[in-house]
Formats: sequence, C-alpha cells, structure tokens
Amino acid sequence: MRFLIKLLIWTVVLLAGLYPAYPLIRAEASVLADPAKYLLEYYGKTATLLFIGVLSLSPFKILFPKFELARDLNRHRRLIGVSSFFFALIHLGFYLVYTGGFTAFFEDIEKPFVLLGLSAFFLLLILAVTSTNRMVRMLGGKKWKWLHRLAYVAAILILFHQALQEKAGAVQTVYFFAPLAVLQIMRMGRLFTAKHKST
Amino acid sequence: MPASTVTPEEAFYNRRRFLRKLGLGLAGSALLPQGLAGATAGFPAKLNPKFDGAGLKSTDFDYVTSYNNFYEFSTDKGEVKKLANEGWETEPWSIQIGGLVENPFKIDVNGLIKKVGGVEERIYRFRCVEAWSMVVPWDGFPLKKLIELAQPDKNARYIKFTTFLDPKSAPGQRGRNIDWPYVESLTIEEANNDLAILATGVYGKPLPNQNGAPIRLVVPWKYGFKSIKSIVKIEFTRNRPRNTWQLLAPQEYGFYANVNPEVDHPRWSQASERIIGGGFFARQPTLPFNGYEKEVAHLYKGLNLRLHY
Repeated sequence: MRFLIKLLIWTVVLLAGLYPAYPLIRAEASVLADPAKYLLEYYGKTATLLFIGVLSLSPFKILFPKFELARDLNRHRRLIGVSSFFFALIHLGFYLVYTGGFTAFFEDIEKPFVLLGLSAFFLLLILAVTSTNRMVRMLGGKKWKWLHRLAYVAAILILFHQALQEKAGAVQTVYFFAPLAVLQIMRMGRLFTAKHKST
Repeated sequence: MPASTVTPEEAFYNRRRFLRKLGLGLAGSALLPQGLAGATAGFPAKLNPKFDGAGLKSTDFDYVTSYNNFYEFSTDKGEVKKLANEGWETEPWSIQIGGLVENPFKIDVNGLIKKVGGVEERIYRFRCVEAWSMVVPWDGFPLKKLIELAQPDKNARYIKFTTFLDPKSAPGQRGRNIDWPYVESLTIEEANNDLAILATGVYGKPLPNQNGAPIRLVVPWKYGFKSIKSIVKIEFTRNRPRNTWQLLAPQEYGFYANVNPEVDHPRWSQASERIIGGGFFARQPTLPFNGYEKEVAHLYKGLNLRLHY
C-alpha cells in the first residue's frame, strides 16, 4: 500500500511536470506566442497547488481521521513538498528567461510582487534542504518542527504573490487558498476546544 | 499554405449558414469570394504608404488571432478565440454616435464604412501593458472621419467609447469583477490624430470576433487596453470619462496610458517587451510612444508623463 501511494504521487508529479510538452508539441498558437511566459505561469501555479496540497494533509487527517487516503498521503508530505520546491525552481528559471536575464531580474527585484515570490522561494529552499532524515536528526525533532512551520509563512507569501499577479480581482487565488484556509481554521478550532475540555 | 490564406472556421460556418438561407446549397459555395462572411466583408483595403510598417515584421495571423486579451470572454488569452465564437453574434451591428454633437446618429457598421469612403490597410506596432508586443496589419479608417460626420460642438473635449454588453453570449461579463460594459476614452486632440483609426479588419479579413469584431479602436502609441474592442457607442463629452482599467486599478493604469519605457508598471518594467511569436528569448527595447513619438509627442507637451501615466 505504501508503495502504491508513493507510485501514485510520483505519477501525478511527473505528469504535472511533463504536461506542458503537450501544447508545445501540438504547437498551440496561444502557447507558442510567448512560451516562456506560459511555462513560467504553469509551473508557478503547479508549485502553488502542490504546496497547498501538502499543507492541507495534516489538518485533513486530524479532522477526518477515517479518510484513509489522506492518512496515507500524509506519510509522504516530504515527497510532495520537495516536488513543490522543484516546480518553484523551474518557475523561477523560466522567469529569468522571460524577463531577459540577470540584469533585468535585478532591476525588477525591489518590486513587491517579485520580492514576495523570491522570499517564498527562499523559504521553500530552506524547507527542502532541511527535509532529509539527517537534517531532522541534526536539528532535533522539536527544533525541526519549529523551523518547518516556516511553511505557513511561505504559504502567506505565495498567496500575496499570486493575488498581486491577478488583474481583475484575485478570483483564482481565492479558489486556490480558500480550502486550505478553511481546513486550517477548522483545525485551530478543534485544538482550541480540545484544550478547553482538558482544563 | 500560409495560415493567412486559410478561411477561419467561424467564417466558414457563417458562410454556410448564409448559403443555406439563400437556398444555394453546396454547389453555390465556389461562386462566393473568399471572406464574404463577417459584418465588414467586401471592403478591399489598399496599403496606406504612410503607414506601411517599413522595417517591421508582421506577427503571424495565427498569433494575432489566438493570443487575445478580451475579458468579456475570458481572462485567459488562449481561451478567448474559442469562447468568442460560440454563438456571439456580431452581425448585424450598429453604432450609436451622440453626446455633445450637432449630428447624432445611429448607423450600421457597413453603412458607416461606406459613408467614410471605405477602409485602408495600416501596419502598426501593438504594445500591451503586460509588456508584450505584436505588429498588426489593420484595415480601418481614420477616427477623424467619424468626428467630422458627428460635428462635435465646442464644449466637447473627450470621446467616450463603450463596448457591447451581452452577458448571455459573453461569459466573462457574467462575472462581477469588472463593472461591465468596458469603456475607454480619448481627448478630442488624440482622437483627431492621424494615427487613431477605427479598425474593421486584420490581414485583409473582417475582424475575427476575438479581435473585437466588427469594429474597434486602434491607437498604436498607447497600451493595448486603450484600443477598445467591439464598439457600440461613441459619445462626445465635456468632462473626462473614467476608463475601465483606471477604475479597476488607478495606481496601475491611468487615463493616458501612453507607451512609456521610463514609467514602470508596479509589477514589471516597461523598458522592454516580449515579441509575440519570437520564441523563448525574444525581447526588444520599448520605444517612447511605441515608436510614434514624432506623430504624437506634441499632444503631451508640458504634461508630466510620470504623473499622467
């Protein structure tokens, strides 16, 4: 079962990563019009969705303990999280191509939109680098757990990064983040009531 | 066969429908000239040598007609072509001209083209505020000619343009993120400039729906959003009307919206632009007034373009 779940995650991640080959090979005009922009947006969105997915798993498991798939997926948070980081890395790479290299990149770096994305990326980088078993041991479970709460900070940065990018109302950002927000609030509510019961 | 000679699918079906109405059936189709479909078909355009786009390479027809910002249908540029051709009728189409004019009138778009003496071809740069650009061979006529017909009175200082409103056919208009219909505006001086045209075609064909059929504004020295599509109303006003994008995000989009490489958008630089259809690395410097400085810079003498973006 564990293996099957892992296979499922790998399949989804690989398919998501390779998907853009399809419109590119079919030479869809709206994609070839500005391929770097298409890819930059695609991988940004995919990274965001995976990140939202991985942050939804824990609250989902707590709120719906009978839902087995969530429990099984929850054991592979690292794999999903690191995949999200890799998509973010590809996103950043295509942004560099799109914007026309490092000179242009540094000229725009002080813009809040770019800064938000870049900060989120560095947090994801820290999380990815410290995701190995060795790092967990080195840091010690407690410290590691605290460090990895940076994921919530990253989520907020990504939310604003995406919302700023939308032109007429942040409709898609709301669709993306609302489920995660609801799950997290429900979990906090659960924690709060549990605490009050125990005292 | 170059893409530009292929009959767009929707034109093909329109023609079929037209033939069926005539009761001609399949046999008759060979007798009909290419591109008869479309509200503004049948107006041959000769290239105006003054605007022949010397030194420019026109963007492929496929890109011009597949990469469209038309929020009335979708915010996804790749979806507009499909959604704008699912039953949205652009024929017949009439425009109402009114406001502070001596001669208000309502006219069918074909009648209007006849009245102004037909259309001509002009090859213009097209620069979107999103930092991408195309070169487009438009068919159209100078906006000035319409102003002459309307005879604005001396109080008229601005012209307000309004796009169609039809949420039934335009799915984007069912969303409430934008206060539909889309509106745009120019000063009378801008509208009377030689460069300002009302376009009714691209590449010698009637405007495809996704490009703003059957009649749109083209003001090539301004960001693309000023070039309002599918116009139903043109009004002359005394006070400056607020344009849709300015209403939505005043800190990002102004009234003038002249192409200006020195004034950045809050999220990106406007100093350079992606060339549509140019592959992964195609970027070029953006020119002041999109390369039309000589023609229009005098309109903005003494105006601080950093404040009046």
